[in-house]
Amino acid sequence: MTSFLKTIFHVDMDAFFVSVEELFDPALKGKAVVVGGQRNERGVVSAASYEAREFGVHSAMPLRTAARLCPHAIFVDGHPERYRQCSERVYRVLNGFSPLVEMASIDEAYLDMSGTERLHGPPLKAAHALHQKMKSCTQLNCSIGIGTSRLIAKVSSAQAKPNGVLWVIPGQEAKFLAPLDVRSIPGVGKVMEQNLDALGVHKVGDLASFEESELEQHFGKWGLALAGKAQGKDAGGWFDTEVGADTDPKSISHEHTFNEDTPNQEQLECTLMRLSEMVGRRLREHHLHARTIQLKLRYKDFTTITRAHSLAGVTQLDTEIFEQVRVLFRKNWRRGQAVRLLGVHASSFESKEGQIDLLDGSRHERWKQALSAADKLRDKYGESSISLAAGMKGSFRERTHENPAGLPGKGPKAKES
Amino acid sequence: MPVEAVATPTGTTTMEITVSKFELLRELTATQGVVERKTTIPILSNYLFEAVGDKLFLTATDLDLSLRTSCTAKVKKEGSCTIPARKLHDYVKLLPDADITIKLLENHWVSIRCGRSNTKMVGMARSNFPSLPAFPTAGVVKIPSGVLRQMIAKTTFAIANEESRYTLNGALMVLKPESITMVATDGHRLAHIERSGEKFDGVSGEMKTLVPKKAMDELKTLLDSADVESIDFAKDESTLYFRVDPRLLTSRQLTGQFPNYEAVLPKDNNKSVTVNCEDLSAAIQRVAQFADERSRAVRMKLEKGELKIAASSTETGESEDSIETNYQGDPVTIGFNAAYLLDFLKATGSGQVRLELKDAQSAGQLRPGEGDDYHYRYIVMPMRI
Repeated sequence: MTSFLKTIFHVDMDAFFVSVEELFDPALKGKAVVVGGQRNERGVVSAASYEAREFGVHSAMPLRTAARLCPHAIFVDGHPERYRQCSERVYRVLNGFSPLVEMASIDEAYLDMSGTERLHGPPLKAAHALHQKMKSCTQLNCSIGIGTSRLIAKVSSAQAKPNGVLWVIPGQEAKFLAPLDVRSIPGVGKVMEQNLDALGVHKVGDLASFEESELEQHFGKWGLALAGKAQGKDAGGWFDTEVGADTDPKSISHEHTFNEDTPNQEQLECTLMRLSEMVGRRLREHHLHARTIQLKLRYKDFTTITRAHSLAGVTQLDTEIFEQVRVLFRKNWRRGQAVRLLGVHASSFESKEGQIDLLDGSRHERWKQALSAADKLRDKYGESSISLAAGMKGSFRERTHENPAGLPGKGPKAKES
Repeated sequence: MPVEAVATPTGTTTMEITVSKFELLRELTATQGVVERKTTIPILSNYLFEAVGDKLFLTATDLDLSLRTSCTAKVKKEGSCTIPARKLHDYVKLLPDADITIKLLENHWVSIRCGRSNTKMVGMARSNFPSLPAFPTAGVVKIPSGVLRQMIAKTTFAIANEESRYTLNGALMVLKPESITMVATDGHRLAHIERSGEKFDGVSGEMKTLVPKKAMDELKTLLDSADVESIDFAKDESTLYFRVDPRLLTSRQLTGQFPNYEAVLPKDNNKSVTVNCEDLSAAIQRVAQFADERSRAVRMKLEKGELKIAASSTETGESEDSIETNYQGDPVTIGFNAAYLLDFLKATGSGQVRLELKDAQSAGQLRPGEGDDYHYRYIVMPMRI
């Protein structure tokens, strides 16, 4: 029986962005540090040091809130290039331990360690070696969770933090999860927590008193998945896929929330250009051509619209994506209204370029070559090393939680749709 | 009586007419296509009815396109009113074949009586109905309706639906003293048709007009149902006028520069083969069943004595058809969107077609094989396969 069980590692870098910043500025060590922007800016916290977390600061919290909770914190702008470089180093270390590595984001990965016992020894020994190797190669701490499923690995790495290793022995999964809050199960958010609360479920163990059918009745398919998850099984959604399995994205999108809501058409369109550039870059990385381009637009009052258009041909070029998204924008934006967020989304992928244009002469071909050259520069000198002039006014700090380009694993903001 | 000569009584709050159901329904049906269905401006889903002399004039508009028509009526009181277009059409269809009496009531309500049926419909104020430009008195060109009908049928399908390529959302009509040309393209294929040996009085030099797709389609419908020798065409700065007596279609002009299509017409496609139009169409249709659903790519392989058409997709399988030819030139393999080829073959209908190719990256050209009174050519860009 045991031979069928998988050994999954979840390796999660400790306070990754903060730790990377500390490598560049050792004076930050041991202090309350908030990465993501300045204290009076509108963005959100990308990461906080453990010292700052003690004051209630956590990632995704508005910077201004963080500044209120922890006024003495040092606020640092993020440096995406640095994180990407470190992430690549992390990947190289992980790759030395298993061929099946899946970067779930820039600072965490799943490793399928099944069948590596003869090479690396039992799980704890392998984890210990990995832990040390990581420290010596990257100077960064990580925490490692080990389990028979992605879910257990993920939950246990969170329990092992900081700088620890936790192995949930096969067979003990349900017992391990039982005393934890339902929120610790990946996929259970605020809404689900409230729904479960209404049923008197607070801890994972409380779910055990429900029949699967009851949960299904309440929550449909999700209820069934939840029952499985409470047992420590990878049930439902992305957790179901094998580590390292080919997970080509179904869609690629980028969004930007403005520091200040803006009704300025030029700025809005420049931002769309910048977002189109980012989407185009990702499409080319994945060797995909999109047929459908979608605009997301959120006004000041949070009313949000999405409008999509399917092209007669397919594209992976920034300029062509932008052309489409600008048409959608001009058609749907209530002129003069302040915009809070813009997003560009590409989907309906094809692997071939297909139709050649009759009228554009060699314009398409020339853009293709120019952008491919730009991609090479970005690979070498970072994402912000080169940009289309039209997008420069719309430039903003990128979000950096994504798995860097080129590493296997979860695509950039690639939502299953 | 020419339609533009109507002096609409304004400010009148009366109207009472009697009209035959047959005639009214005929005109209601003819104008349905122009009535805006999803409008945010309520008046645009209404007809304007105007009773003058012995006629009832009906007008529908979506602001881009307007259609004005008329039928004979017994006018008891001249005047005008507006009536919800679809509801009226649906209702009149169900009435018996008899005379219908239409009378304007208070608050823009309209009474419709026919035999023992009696209905009052909620209309809107006539003053809300947009005013339409009048047919110009000068610069009118007569175009043979049969010619125009042919030319529209053979080009309209190539018009772009992409709104981002605005100037491609219509066809270019070029009138010269002795010829008429129509060109349409969506950036992937281009349909070009030319008819010479006609006489166009009033045209000097070159008269270029961009006709929006919706106007093309509506005009085609009008020509299909009308029995007239020729139509009157005129334009001013912003509007195009097509009079297919007694109906008058007006359209907003598309502005902008139509691409320089002459530059993309192939000149040295030296690998040509003639095949039967229906055979080719049938082969492509069969093979295309197994093409990728989104790209619709089919592969054409022209070899000595044979034209092979093939397609494959990982989901459905693969398929090949072959047509015997007398081709003796160098072989060439090229990919096309099957839908683009079928559009042309459908518009051509029957007879022989000539396929002229150069190489896998260059545009292919298709034309009717022989007896083409209309100089018709169709250019398709290949697909990378």
